[in-house]
Amino acid sequence: MRLSILLKLVRNMATLLAQLNESRYANIFLTLLRIGLGALFIYASLDKIWNPGLFAKVISNYRILPLPLLHLSAIILPWLELLCGLALVFNRYARAANILIAGMLFVFILAIVASIYRGLDFNCGCFKLEATEKNMGTLKIIENLAMLGITGLLEYRFRIGGNK
Amino acid sequence: MKKLNPLLKEIIILVVISTVLGISAQAVLPNGIRLITETTLLGSDSNTVVVPSVSINPEANSDAASNISLSEVYKLHQSGAALFFDARDPDDYLEGHIQNAINLPAHAFMDSLPYLESLDFDQFIITYCDGSDCNASLDLAADLKMMGFTRVSFFFGGWQEWLEAEYPIEASP
Repeated sequence: MRLSILLKLVRNMATLLAQLNESRYANIFLTLLRIGLGALFIYASLDKIWNPGLFAKVISNYRILPLPLLHLSAIILPWLELLCGLALVFNRYARAANILIAGMLFVFILAIVASIYRGLDFNCGCFKLEATEKNMGTLKIIENLAMLGITGLLEYRFRIGGNK
Repeated sequence: MKKLNPLLKEIIILVVISTVLGISAQAVLPNGIRLITETTLLGSDSNTVVVPSVSINPEANSDAASNISLSEVYKLHQSGAALFFDARDPDDYLEGHIQNAINLPAHAFMDSLPYLESLDFDQFIITYCDGSDCNASLDLAADLKMMGFTRVSFFFGGWQEWLEAEYPIEASP
């Protein structure tokens, strides 16, 4: 129910932005979204970069990846998040970073949905690796969908040429 | 050769740089891990499971809790030398648990601190959860080690193995 409201919101925003195509406010708004999303990904990457072992453990809890890929993804994924975050903030390679972020979010959403479906109960390891972070649930999916919506808006913006 | 789409080129560059940075960082980071997933064999002879070593000791130092087999667990249970912690949810615990075990759900570790601080830190502790399909016993053992308990083992066969062996159990009314 809440999901459909969110989707409608994103769609309405896109229409609104299309109308505001040439508007200065739309540009400022999208720039803020781009920098905000980038900063969020930088923040999310730091804890994982500092402690890849803990992050590997979190990934292993999802029971999705085959064992040989576990360490490799725990090593590469946080750096990809950091780099994409920096790319968005500084607006270099931003469209590529935005697409990569959308891809990561999509995979995260699938992983969370799968683990909820299978009844696994553990910390999601999204922003912080400590157990104090809230467990996974619909809220996490909504958070990720909202970010995915932002990448959609940004991609729309990049596509119509305003790499601002 | 056909020229690569510039967008695809940028994506590849980002991925390659992340890979190179990530792999080289492991040599520098104090908590760096190896590129190849290290695994540990857990369980008894008849029922072994391969788990990633980070599940037992994510901090990658040598001071990890140890695995303990059903026969050893039974001996310690009979002699009363060890304290048993059931890492499952209270619902499962109430349905049935190892005789004299104390319920200490792994994800509510922080709530148990006042109780744990009252214990002797050299007390032998055995943690368990449902069986080889759950990680709660490993998590709880790692947390107890981190807290400073010196003798912590996890019984990976867990409730299922104990039940099959028909060893003493009890259910809370």
